[in-house]
Amino acid sequence: MTEKAGQRILNDVADQVVHERRRRKIVIASGTLLFGILALWCVNATIIIDTDWQRMGSIGDMLRVIGRYVGFDVPLFKQLLQPALETLLIAFLGTLIGVLLCLPVIWFGARNITPLGRFSYLLSRMMMTVSRSVHEIVWALFFVAVVGLGALAGIIAVAFRSVGFIAKMSAEAIENIDPRPVEAIQATGAGSFQVLRYAILPQVLPQIISVIMFEWEINIRRSAVLGLVGAGGLGLVFFRQLNTFNYHGVTSVIIMILIIILIGETASHAIRRRLL
Amino acid sequence: MNHASTVSINPVLVRLNRDRRHRSVGVFAAWLVILSLVFFSLDYLNVPVERIFGVFGRIGEVVADRYYPPDIRYILDKTYFSYVLGTIQMAFLGALIGILLSIPLAWFASWNMTPSRRLVYPLARFVSMGCRAIHETIWTILLVSILGYGMFPGVVALIFFSVGFAVKLMAEEIEAIDMGPVEAMVATGANLFQVVMFGVLPQVRVALTGIAIYTWDVAFRAATVVGFFGAGGMGWYLKRNVLQIESQRVAAIMLSIVVLVLISEAVSAWARKAVMKMQ
Repeated sequence: MTEKAGQRILNDVADQVVHERRRRKIVIASGTLLFGILALWCVNATIIIDTDWQRMGSIGDMLRVIGRYVGFDVPLFKQLLQPALETLLIAFLGTLIGVLLCLPVIWFGARNITPLGRFSYLLSRMMMTVSRSVHEIVWALFFVAVVGLGALAGIIAVAFRSVGFIAKMSAEAIENIDPRPVEAIQATGAGSFQVLRYAILPQVLPQIISVIMFEWEINIRRSAVLGLVGAGGLGLVFFRQLNTFNYHGVTSVIIMILIIILIGETASHAIRRRLL
Repeated sequence: MNHASTVSINPVLVRLNRDRRHRSVGVFAAWLVILSLVFFSLDYLNVPVERIFGVFGRIGEVVADRYYPPDIRYILDKTYFSYVLGTIQMAFLGALIGILLSIPLAWFASWNMTPSRRLVYPLARFVSMGCRAIHETIWTILLVSILGYGMFPGVVALIFFSVGFAVKLMAEEIEAIDMGPVEAMVATGANLFQVVMFGVLPQVRVALTGIAIYTWDVAFRAATVVGFFGAGGMGWYLKRNVLQIESQRVAAIMLSIVVLVLISEAVSAWARKAVMKMQ
């Protein structure tokens, strides 16, 4: 009797497992099918219909176009040094101003220290999202209209774009701190600023600095293209070389961008290792 | 006894104090370097400093003068919707192909699982770094000159962008796996491909799916502007109206970009949470 019941339960379990496996297989298969159909639809819309096949020509034509870019404009390199330094400095100032703009956003956006409860928390989260969701080119277009052509527009665009990422990571770091030092300092009768300075900041400073350095690396990449919409630096030279059909010059500018990105990455690695 | 203890603690305090002084000298030097760099760059870039402080006032002024009210009716238009749809399709396709390429590349670019540390590893790292180092707008410009106007160069630029973005994150996930199952499989005589398929992939599947969703989200943000440089989609609309100085229409387009990105971010956050739950 008990043996039979046990057998039945075992059979039921096996049935369930088989059923579950079959269901999983169906879900995976239909998901893949859906993705495949979506992809085919997109290929049709974006590539097959929307491309000017005649303009593209044969593979030989395409290779000829690529071939135009192969080579360097050696004398140009000397003229690239100044815009390259400009790009690095735009990234530096942009990151710095971004950090300054961040401070209130971080303060409002970390759940455990936000001053006005839910209201300030949501406000700060909204600011972070808007900052991150608008592309740097769009920010730059806007700030060129606000402060005019030149490096300043690029600096502010980079600053506004950086706020989201730095603030989000820093606020998360502050939310994950060890609360005991905060309680200890509060117990001595310290005000909220003193708690911030002596209990919270020492715990999160290394993380925040490493986030800032990481963002600085990305900002070099960004500031190198903001010149395309009128914000100075290497992008402006790139734009000029392209418009004068100096293809070797275009390649040279790209090489220069790679060089300064490498410089930035090396510097930020060295600083981060020194600090942490 | 008492005497001895005071003697032994004093040098320690002196040493701690000296260490603190050294540290504060270091902090002071760092601030000095940063400040002098700030002044140097303000001077070198010819930044009109007085404008920095007035920038928030100027933002209000410019927005009130030129961008307000956004011309919402202009973007509630069938053609514009087709451009938005094109942008979404471009982002979907670019991110999808980019992710499919990223998974093997991430395997090659992870120090613990790469087939060859001398050859394949540096190559995969180089490809991912090259894709990442060159900004998506530059990719777009170059590809437009090769492939012509339209969404095709946009898709290819987004593939490069997604590879640059995803490979690094995915490789980090693979490097952080538990090596126990892998070693067990190697001990049974499994080859490298089998180890990756059955020892590594099940461990990182959820994390990679999360990264893939995130990649799609970021690629969509990039897709909104590739059109500005000649690839299709909303960016093309933006460029046209920027050149015509139709600022109120530009404002409407920018607003629509923000709204769409917010929606995509919400969708991606929801999808990532759903994937985490499935684990």
